Amino acid sequence: MLCEECREKNAVVFLKLAVNNKVTELHLCPACAAKKGMGFGLETGAFNISDIVGNMSGYFKDFLPPEKKTLRCGACGLKYSEFKETGRLGCPDCYLSFEAQLGELMSRIHGASQHSGRVYQGGPALKLSKAEKARRLEELRGALHDAVAKEDFEGAARLRDAMRQLEAPRGRD
Amino acid sequence: MDAIKTFRPYVTWANARGAWPDMIFSTRVRFARNLEGFPFPNRAEPRQLAEIRRLALAAAKRTGLFPKGHYFKIEALGPLDKRFLVERHHVSHALASAVLPAGAVVANDEDLSAMINEEDHLRLQCLNAGFAIEEAFKAALKLDEALGRELPFAFRPRFGFLTACPTNTGTGMRVSCLAHLPALSRLGQMPQVLESLSHLGVTARGIYGEGTYVLGDFYQISNATCLGRNEEDFCNNIDRVIRNLIRQEISARETLLKAPLKLKTEDTVFRALGLLKHARTLSYEEFMQNISLARMGAAMGWNMGLDFSTFNQVTLLMQPAHIQAAAGRELNPAERDAFRADYLRKKLG
Repeated sequence: MLCEECREKNAVVFLKLAVNNKVTELHLCPACAAKKGMGFGLETGAFNISDIVGNMSGYFKDFLPPEKKTLRCGACGLKYSEFKETGRLGCPDCYLSFEAQLGELMSRIHGASQHSGRVYQGGPALKLSKAEKARRLEELRGALHDAVAKEDFEGAARLRDAMRQLEAPRGRD
Repeated sequence: MDAIKTFRPYVTWANARGAWPDMIFSTRVRFARNLEGFPFPNRAEPRQLAEIRRLALAAAKRTGLFPKGHYFKIEALGPLDKRFLVERHHVSHALASAVLPAGAVVANDEDLSAMINEEDHLRLQCLNAGFAIEEAFKAALKLDEALGRELPFAFRPRFGFLTACPTNTGTGMRVSCLAHLPALSRLGQMPQVLESLSHLGVTARGIYGEGTYVLGDFYQISNATCLGRNEEDFCNNIDRVIRNLIRQEISARETLLKAPLKLKTEDTVFRALGLLKHARTLSYEEFMQNISLARMGAAMGWNMGLDFSTFNQVTLLMQPAHIQAAAGRELNPAERDAFRADYLRKKLG
């Protein structure tokens, strides 16, 4: 990210200023930050490093691709606009729901959008408590009801399978 | 203070060892992991968080990697216990302020630990003394693989390990070294150093991690990105960057030891030592500023009366919650500063 002042050097100083209850963010290179009189307090060694390394939520707002207002995760219900606000995803399925947008975001953050580290072979089914099982069944029942009402029979079959798996003694892999 | 009492005052990972024990305090490798089938902590209901903690604590026990380990329900701990765990680097500030079900597991040797329901369901870490990236990586990976056999982690081939914040997605790995860089700081070179780090995919944070102040010229240097390269590549990159930083710090120390700066440097170092030895009240910030100079003085070959292991242990012991642990009771800030000055005088002989 370029310095907002000179637009030449890389910004390394990220400042959040609260002026009249409005939060303004400034991304500056060290030279411009010094010009603005923002001492680093390096003599004493006491300054807030997060001012320098940056505030991520501002970063997300700047870099996220524009999205449709209605986009949301089918599993946890997180709206894409909420993600833009907080910079936090809601559940593993958000990665599928927002795959296209996240691909672009990943390239900007990491310089890549494809994992090339260790591959995980999967783990065992969880031995859930009765309460969590009941909660999940309730959720699936609701979704099944909606699917049948919408005549989405493929979806309904999938949900029925999921319910059966959850009800199976000790769960299956 | 129940949690504090279960810990020994000294920790193995604070012993000085490895190459450049005067500059690299410790090495940390952490993995961010989440369970398949649950929302991330920021979107989970309290009873789901409790369920995740129950599953994670049981799984950690089954790995056998935490014999005589310490298991905590964070929201049930008192403020002093939580502060102590933060000072020990087992728990982040964010986790310590949790009001919903959250947890931590700490191995008896305090090298391995796991945070439960911080930003992600699991944050697994290995903390080792000195400059030991490969060793810390292998130990953290062993914990990751053992837990991954007990719990289903959220993983997709395209994005790797899935995390609440996209900055951790991919390997979910953060490798960091706690580096002491007093000479670069004194010469005012840290802004340039931090800028050059940002081009190398590396960030610097304060002593307690994200969003914390730099104290006593200690910087946590870690990888800024987690996706697109494998774990070993990220480790190698940090290794290269740290070696380069060490070279810069060495040359800055040489500058401080040459005319016209030598007398000024020596004077500053011995004044700091005098203050540490004779102060009757000492705040933690003042202690950190001065121990930083004394530590640099020892590295420059002047007799400070302490070896680097003692420097490291003392640096841990002078933290606010550690001071209260040593006193055996809660102290207000003024009492703490007086106790710290006395306690330090005894340690310095």
